[in-house]
Amino acid sequence: MDSFSYYSQTVLNGILAGCIYALFAMGLTLIYGVLNFVNFAHGELIMWGAYFLFLFMGEPFGLPLYFAILPALLLTGCLGLAMEYSVFRPIRKANRLTLLIAAMGISVFLRNAAQFFWGAEVRTYGLEVMPGTRFIGLYLTMQQFAIIGVTILCVAGVYLLFFKSRLGKSMRALSDNLDLARISGIDTKRAILAAWVISAVLAGIGGILMALDTNLNPEMGVVNLIKAFAATLIGGVGNLWGALIGGLLIGLAENIGVLFISPGYKDGIAFVIMVLILLARPYVILGERSD
Amino acid sequence: MDLLLHLCIVVAIYTVFALSLNVEVGYTGLFNFGHVAFFAIGAYTSALLTLAGVPFAWAFVAALFLAGLCGFLLSIPALKLQGDYFGIATLGFGEILRMIFNNEVWLTKGPMGLPGIPRPEFFGIVFDTLPLYLALSAGFALATFAILSFIILSPFGRALKAVRDDETAAEILGKNAYAFKIKSFVIGSVFAGLAGVLWAHYATFISPGDFTLTETILVLLIVVMGGKGTLTGPVVGAVTLIFFQESVRFLRLPPEWTRLLGPLQQMIFGLLLVILMVFRPEGIVREKGGARVD
Repeated sequence: MDSFSYYSQTVLNGILAGCIYALFAMGLTLIYGVLNFVNFAHGELIMWGAYFLFLFMGEPFGLPLYFAILPALLLTGCLGLAMEYSVFRPIRKANRLTLLIAAMGISVFLRNAAQFFWGAEVRTYGLEVMPGTRFIGLYLTMQQFAIIGVTILCVAGVYLLFFKSRLGKSMRALSDNLDLARISGIDTKRAILAAWVISAVLAGIGGILMALDTNLNPEMGVVNLIKAFAATLIGGVGNLWGALIGGLLIGLAENIGVLFISPGYKDGIAFVIMVLILLARPYVILGERSD
Repeated sequence: MDLLLHLCIVVAIYTVFALSLNVEVGYTGLFNFGHVAFFAIGAYTSALLTLAGVPFAWAFVAALFLAGLCGFLLSIPALKLQGDYFGIATLGFGEILRMIFNNEVWLTKGPMGLPGIPRPEFFGIVFDTLPLYLALSAGFALATFAILSFIILSPFGRALKAVRDDETAAEILGKNAYAFKIKSFVIGSVFAGLAGVLWAHYATFISPGDFTLTETILVLLIVVMGGKGTLTGPVVGAVTLIFFQESVRFLRLPPEWTRLLGPLQQMIFGLLLVILMVFRPEGIVREKGGARVD
């Protein structure tokens, strides 16, 4: 492979990874926007999304991939709702430390539950390896086409929902000011539930795409939570489009970064970017949405 | 008898670890989710130095110093973040540090870990038996308790609580909240380093796998369950949870169960955190006085 296509392949891989990070980051930033806290269990929604698909594709269901996706995403959405109903709604008025530790607790519980049922080992969906296709000199598998296609669909869907529908309008109102939204007669409960479902489904889609492209293991949540967070920091917290750009940038930085440093540190690149942003623009967070 | 001594030593080490986290989480309101990083820095520094032939006393000092220094360097960017973000930044730091231990094989032997860490030697006494090691770790636990209690009960400690309860009000009264948070974080890091040193020389073998998020969660649960922001809470939490955790380890269970036992135990810990937060966020020992701003 000549060096030009080598580098363009690297960029392409970066974009592919970035698409998935963008899906994670959009879900994370959405919950932040509406409820004003970082859902530490977001990584576990990613991981469980991927494992739900694994569940439906394996015994006793044995569904083919395309039929298994829908119930898997449905369950992921329900998992998001379950978090809201069982934990976050009862302690909505508690202080932030309480919320955060509870989210951490959920994350620990769900991560180990996955390990309990499926073991700690790395798994795949056991799909046949399909030959990739050459596309303007680049090598792409079907999964990777799917990543790009699905991400575009999700972003379009989120755009329509947020800026063209009443529900989206009420969610945006909520993220501006919860109390003001409530006294203006917006059904805040419904909007919050919708935010949870969307956030969880986006996480599930991202998790499934990632697992299709690589593999799945119970630790995939934590690593990706940090990346999703770095992506939201780049784009400005609570900003959906910022999360999209941030995700792509993190993906690119990781894939281009491993040309220069040991691949063992690939997962650390997002963290370094995060620290650099904080050093360069320390008040990016404090300035906005501080409470 | 050895089992009981072992339990007491682990309790003593985790008491130090929990007390150090309590300074940050309990008294200053810093959501440190990467506390295990400083435990690991203490453990690795002391282990590497003593393995290289440096006397324990110097390795000990170096380990505490390095843990504090890393805490200081991390806190400069990270403490500019508010609550949740600080939590993620510390979580990320914990993960990246483990990555370094795994990858810098020339220094840490990577995932193989460091075997044969010598027992500590102070003033010519080698602490190589269980009762002696218990005396050593209990002594350090008591000293930590005394020093941290002194700090917390001093005006400095009251300022930390003021920063925790209402940062703006503390700033208006002339307290530099950022500086107080950094100091609190450094103190917490130093004592976490101490716990790490005690752990490394007790276990005599460490590997990056010992310093995962799981450890942070355990120590967080100890603090939260015992009662954050209280002097005795972390001690109560350490005794309860370590006895639970370590005694499960000594149950004679069929081998096919043990694979499930680890995750199951962690599930219980996670669930405990959630249940505590929903029903009794203050933990076993309640913080006295002072209106908490909730």
